[in-house]
Amino acid sequence: MVMAGPPIIEIEIKDHLFYPDEVRIPADTKVKLLVKNLDPTAEEFESYELNREKVIAGNSEAIIFIGPLSAGEYPFFGEFFPKTAQGKVIAE
Amino acid sequence: MIVIPYVLVVMLLIPGLTLADDLAVDKVYHPYVQPMEREVEWRMVAADGDHLQRLGIGQSLNDRIFVEGYLLAAEEGDTFRLEGYELETRIQLSEQGEYAVDWGMIVELEKAHQEDEWELATALLMEKQWGRWVGAANLWLEYEWGDEVKDEFETAMAVQTRYRLSPAFEPAIEFYGGENTRALGPVAMGDVRFGAGKKLHWESGVLVGLSKKTPDTILRLLAEYEF
Repeated sequence: MVMAGPPIIEIEIKDHLFYPDEVRIPADTKVKLLVKNLDPTAEEFESYELNREKVIAGNSEAIIFIGPLSAGEYPFFGEFFPKTAQGKVIAE
Repeated sequence: MIVIPYVLVVMLLIPGLTLADDLAVDKVYHPYVQPMEREVEWRMVAADGDHLQRLGIGQSLNDRIFVEGYLLAAEEGDTFRLEGYELETRIQLSEQGEYAVDWGMIVELEKAHQEDEWELATALLMEKQWGRWVGAANLWLEYEWGDEVKDEFETAMAVQTRYRLSPAFEPAIEFYGGENTRALGPVAMGDVRFGAGKKLHWESGVLVGLSKKTPDTILRLLAEYEF
């Protein structure tokens, strides 16, 4: 039997911004974020609310598992460029 | 998974081992590695008027492997001297949140400064989150050898339950168990940020000895600067 993996959601980092900056996911479900850093500089996906921090080198990608999360909003930011790189996960 | 037989080997060896020589209170390791991470670390464990300090510098090689070298110094009575050297490799085995438990492992090689005394140690690192609570456990299997020490296997364990109150302050309870150690007590920790990619992580705790061979009170301090 083939087990289905968690849903995959792509996030891009470009010009020190997250695209999309609002990530909607189903509540109470584990989700796999595929974060692609299109900038030449490194960025760190960070969220205390999600209990995740992950450094992503320039022009590379990383996988971040989140959830299952209760319904609500969970902000995240890029630690290396926190003024611009801001976003949130919305579990609904 | 390869970790299952590893756990079984450690658990089976725990009851039958001879007395360990050292206090098994140090720190609780977490099974995560960040790429492009460098750190300078200082930690101290003090009990009965003596203390052991470690000063380390570490660097991740990629997103799975982190290596760190330490100098160990001890104060016993009025003497403060270099005690030994340690090389440590931490390996992240699974992504955080990928499985029900996050897995990692660590391998350490320690050499006494002057004596012919060696120790090779490995630990399985586990971590699990329940809402704002996080539990972490380290299961150690160690082998000592040399002219100045009895060749023997030892085991130890460290367990931490932490409440994620805020980035600056998280209370925790830790338990350390070894052949000569049973210690339990409150620990606090937190992060102070200094800018992009730079932060100071601190930990401080007071543990109470639960057995006759464990000192009544053990102080542990840690400061780790990531850059």
